[in-house]
Amino acid sequence: MGDILDVITTRKSIRKYKHAPIPDEMIDKILEAARWAPTGENHQPWRLIVVRDLETIKKIGQMAKVGSGIFTTTEYCMGRMRQFEGIKDQKERERVEKFMYTGEVSAFLGKAPLLIVVTGSCDALDTPYDLSACAENMLLEAHSLGLGACWVHGPVAPIRGEMKMKELLKVPLGIAEYKLLAVISFGWPESPRKHPRPKKKLEEIVFWEEFGRKERPRYV
Amino acid sequence: MSDNEIITYFNDMLARLEGLFYHEISGTAVKKVDLIGIDFLHSKKIGGKTAEEVVEKCVREITSMGVVKNISYSIHGHGILLKLEIDGCIHIPKEAKLKEDGVKPFMCPIANMIGDRIIEILNYETTYMANMDIDEHRGKCIVKYAIFENIDKIGQVSDWTKL
Repeated sequence: MGDILDVITTRKSIRKYKHAPIPDEMIDKILEAARWAPTGENHQPWRLIVVRDLETIKKIGQMAKVGSGIFTTTEYCMGRMRQFEGIKDQKERERVEKFMYTGEVSAFLGKAPLLIVVTGSCDALDTPYDLSACAENMLLEAHSLGLGACWVHGPVAPIRGEMKMKELLKVPLGIAEYKLLAVISFGWPESPRKHPRPKKKLEEIVFWEEFGRKERPRYV
Repeated sequence: MSDNEIITYFNDMLARLEGLFYHEISGTAVKKVDLIGIDFLHSKKIGGKTAEEVVEKCVREITSMGVVKNISYSIHGHGILLKLEIDGCIHIPKEAKLKEDGVKPFMCPIANMIGDRIIEILNYETTYMANMDIDEHRGKCIVKYAIFENIDKIGQVSDWTKL
């Protein structure tokens, strides 16, 4: 069995795509990867809506701008957008912050050639977690095929946004029926991939045997 | 049960529910609770042509029903920031309990019911809870609640911290 660590560690979120269609065979492979995600009691709650209609994609892009933008505008105005303080170049920092607070960070969905909306029935045990695993499988498969992809929570994170998206895509509206977890965009990367953003070192995130214990005990 | 005991009973349950919800989905919890409390004003005749008018009418209903003793409000920041200064709200013990448990209060039914009326009556795009500051000892809250009239309001930034 092949080690997929290289696929995992080279994947990054891609938000700019070429104006080129994705072959059906590739879409099928991405969907097949989704189908094999781990799922509590093998419930397989996922239902995946593949969207290629440009008008619908455009509307989802607007919803994404709202969904992310209401949060980021608020965070900026409340002085809580601190994650970019490390950017020394003032102009670059302002550019990045504006990209965030205008909602453009998610609005790019409207220009993607393909979206897959990840939904799932609420009658499973672990719907959101199953759907998350399903989404990750699709991201990894897309990356392994040379495609770019980005998981976007913004348009469906606010409950009102989720309701609007359900109406747009004709998902049953009942609160106990289906959950919309995320929208994933796919496309051919517009430019060569840069290396993924830095990740925390293992020493920072791993404990041995109990929370907080960093030294690795000898295994007997 | 007396009225006070009933209020305590429901506030305790709400605090537990919110605490567990925050524990389950962390920071996104605030994005999922906009609809809590909105039913209260659905049966009331509230109208208005501006956000100020709608808020004023909501405040009259809310205070006359005794949910809150007094609310003063103002709108700032390109018309996006609705600031509510709430005095004597029946939900203060819920917020105090959350604070005790280390959870920053994130769901104000009063703001939600006002925001919902603004959306429904004025066709605003949406709302978002920006911040809740609770002074449980004096029975007061300051709620900063974003009301977005339309998509063009996204990204119209200003400093809300000093308001």
